[in-house]
Amino acid sequence: MRVAIAEDSVLLREGLARLLDDAGIEVIAQCDDADDLLLKVRSYSPDAAIVDIRLPPTHNDEGLRAALEIRSKHPDVGVLVLSQYVELGLALKLLADSAEGVGYLLKDRISDVDEFVAALRRVADGGSALDPIIVSTLLSRERPGDPLAQLTPREREVLELMAAGSSNQGVADELVITVRAVEKYVSSIFTKLGLPSTGSESRRVLAVLTFLRT
Amino acid sequence: MATAVPSKLAHAEERRARSLVPATAVLAVAAAAASLGFALAASSPDPTQVFLMEWVAVPYAVAGVIAWWRRPASRLGPLMVAGGLASAFSGWQLADASAPYTFGAAFDILPAALFVHVCLAFPDGRLRSTFERALVTVAYTSAVGLQLVKLLLGGVDPANVVDVWRQPDLVATIEDVQLLSLSGCALVAVGVLGGRRRRSGRPRRRSIAIVIDSFAIALMMIAVLFVLAAFDLPGFREVQRATLFLIGLSPLVFLFGLLDARLARSAVGDLVLELRRDPAPADLRDALAHALRDPSLTLAYWLPDFEAYVDVNGRPVQLPTDERHTATLIEQNGERVAALVHDPALEDESELLEAVGAAAGMSLENARLHAELRARVEELRGSRARVIEAGQKERQRLERNLHDGAQQRLIALSLRLRLLEKRLPEEPEAQHELDAARREIALSLDELRDVARGIHPAVLSGHGLAVAVDSLAARSALPVRLAVEVDGRLHEHVEVAAYYVVSEGLANIAKHARASEARVSIERRAGRLVVEVVDDGVGGADTERGSGLRGLADRVEAVGGRLRVWTPLGGGTRVQAEIPCA
Repeated sequence: MRVAIAEDSVLLREGLARLLDDAGIEVIAQCDDADDLLLKVRSYSPDAAIVDIRLPPTHNDEGLRAALEIRSKHPDVGVLVLSQYVELGLALKLLADSAEGVGYLLKDRISDVDEFVAALRRVADGGSALDPIIVSTLLSRERPGDPLAQLTPREREVLELMAAGSSNQGVADELVITVRAVEKYVSSIFTKLGLPSTGSESRRVLAVLTFLRT
Repeated sequence: MATAVPSKLAHAEERRARSLVPATAVLAVAAAAASLGFALAASSPDPTQVFLMEWVAVPYAVAGVIAWWRRPASRLGPLMVAGGLASAFSGWQLADASAPYTFGAAFDILPAALFVHVCLAFPDGRLRSTFERALVTVAYTSAVGLQLVKLLLGGVDPANVVDVWRQPDLVATIEDVQLLSLSGCALVAVGVLGGRRRRSGRPRRRSIAIVIDSFAIALMMIAVLFVLAAFDLPGFREVQRATLFLIGLSPLVFLFGLLDARLARSAVGDLVLELRRDPAPADLRDALAHALRDPSLTLAYWLPDFEAYVDVNGRPVQLPTDERHTATLIEQNGERVAALVHDPALEDESELLEAVGAAAGMSLENARLHAELRARVEELRGSRARVIEAGQKERQRLERNLHDGAQQRLIALSLRLRLLEKRLPEEPEAQHELDAARREIALSLDELRDVARGIHPAVLSGHGLAVAVDSLAARSALPVRLAVEVDGRLHEHVEVAAYYVVSEGLANIAKHARASEARVSIERRAGRLVVEVVDDGVGGADTERGSGLRGLADRVEAVGGRLRVWTPLGGGTRVQAEIPCA
């Protein structure tokens, strides 16, 4: 797998490159701003781009804009956005109408190398990765007549993993159950929440997120 | 430029100057009567010519005498009287006797030069530049000097009594030079008037504008007339009559203007009545503008503490220094109170200005105090906004430092520990330690993140109000219904204030309201951003202590907005902020 990185902190950029290198991922470009990243993505068509959301010159929304541009102009390049804060508003902006090939994680997740690499691979393969903080914040909210209350603890776990972008296989591995069992849970969850069950794994991330948001 | 209301000393001088006026008036009447007498006694009287001579001489003398009486310090009055006298004397040419005829002939051209002078010196009696003074000097030299030379050389036949050396050819040449040079002077004077109009626009006082227009037309007629005379072209007589008619008309327009000004003085009485009703400071200007008949009037109040002039709302203003405005200072008990900034044409109505200033003194002092209060409020508002702005900038800087410094380093550190951990596959104890250290770092990062977010919400400056509010709602402990209708970015201080309204509002609801849900709406309405945070909780929020609402109100007011809270017991709480965002 080939990735490009855009991160203006040298310390972090190089640490990240080394970590990916150790994991057998080829880092084809290390960029310190958005323009350079866009250039490298155009030139080398990597499988995925890792983008710090705050990039020079203003450190405002350059990273997000670069990520959105890659999403629209190079749909086959996965985009994994890293940030020191994860904000639901930005997640929704980033996912817009498709959660395919996109991830949004807290920067801290880098050091959980295995999970981070798994998320990166998922994004490169067209799946999605949403930081667990977003999902758990949304799940922890009290709702009057909460449909979430009808979920069994197991179903809740599955929902959490599913919303964060895990595939059925991923959920099965995490919870040490069979994929068939996961599928059963998923369909039960969708029924209880009154959501139409959809085929694609990444589409259901968006459905769940939209549901949880309100 | 600023002129003070005339002092007592100036009044004494005026009285002295005024004492000359009756004698001059008698002289003008005598001269005009004499010219009439000579003309009627002549062997072949030309009634039209006689009438036109008097038509010019009498109005000029009358208008001049009145202008002189009204403004003894101005040269305009004497100048106009001189014009009338010169016209009357030049009428003596109609006499049969040689002596008066010669005397009249000496004044033949002078009225034209005087007219050029009057035109340039109107309305305040002053010539405004060296160029204008030079122009007038040329006109006089030509009209008086060359005329005498012509007489001495035997020109102006046949009854000339002072011809000492007859030189008809030379006289003809001199006469051409004289007429053409005066024609040139008249044209240049028209150009000067045009230049003034271009620089300072048409005078706002209509009567003055009409006088100047009539001057310009008459000057052009003079120029044409003298060219016709110099080249002996046909139509001289007709043009001469029309010119004289026009020249005589302008003092009549001038007199009409004076009458108009006279009427204005009765407006002071109305003003006094109006002021007795104690008009609001904002209406005072209109009352004074009406009394002075100057729609361009503005008032500037003097604030000694600030050493500056301000408008009625306390905003600093500069006294104008251009030609279109003049400032008259108004004093009350020896203290400067205000300046009336008005059309320069009002300068020749100093009595009116003085009367209006005196009548309005007390009201102006009241308005000045009002303006001073507003200025101080404005100053406070400004300094409060600056303090909050500076705090905001500082918070932003701190958050940035944390983000680029400590947070980044901790993440990098955690990463290095992880890489180190991987290098020690055979030492589970060391791995365990490293893992514990990484968890510590993760906790620190969480705490640091909360601190940094509390200092300044980076998502707000990075991505705007809508996204930031989305995140606030997502983090809220209870469901929030959002209706955010804001396109694009707003000014930073507006976004920050609105953000804190929502953030504080939601925090209050979570803490005190015992609500089941909250509603946040943000929309633009008529140049204001209206932010509402509503809950269905217990209401009765304490708006003064502890709730943070007081601090929130300060923040909103500092950016010129207003915070209102409705919190009936048992009826939920509604917090509404209106923030100007034009």
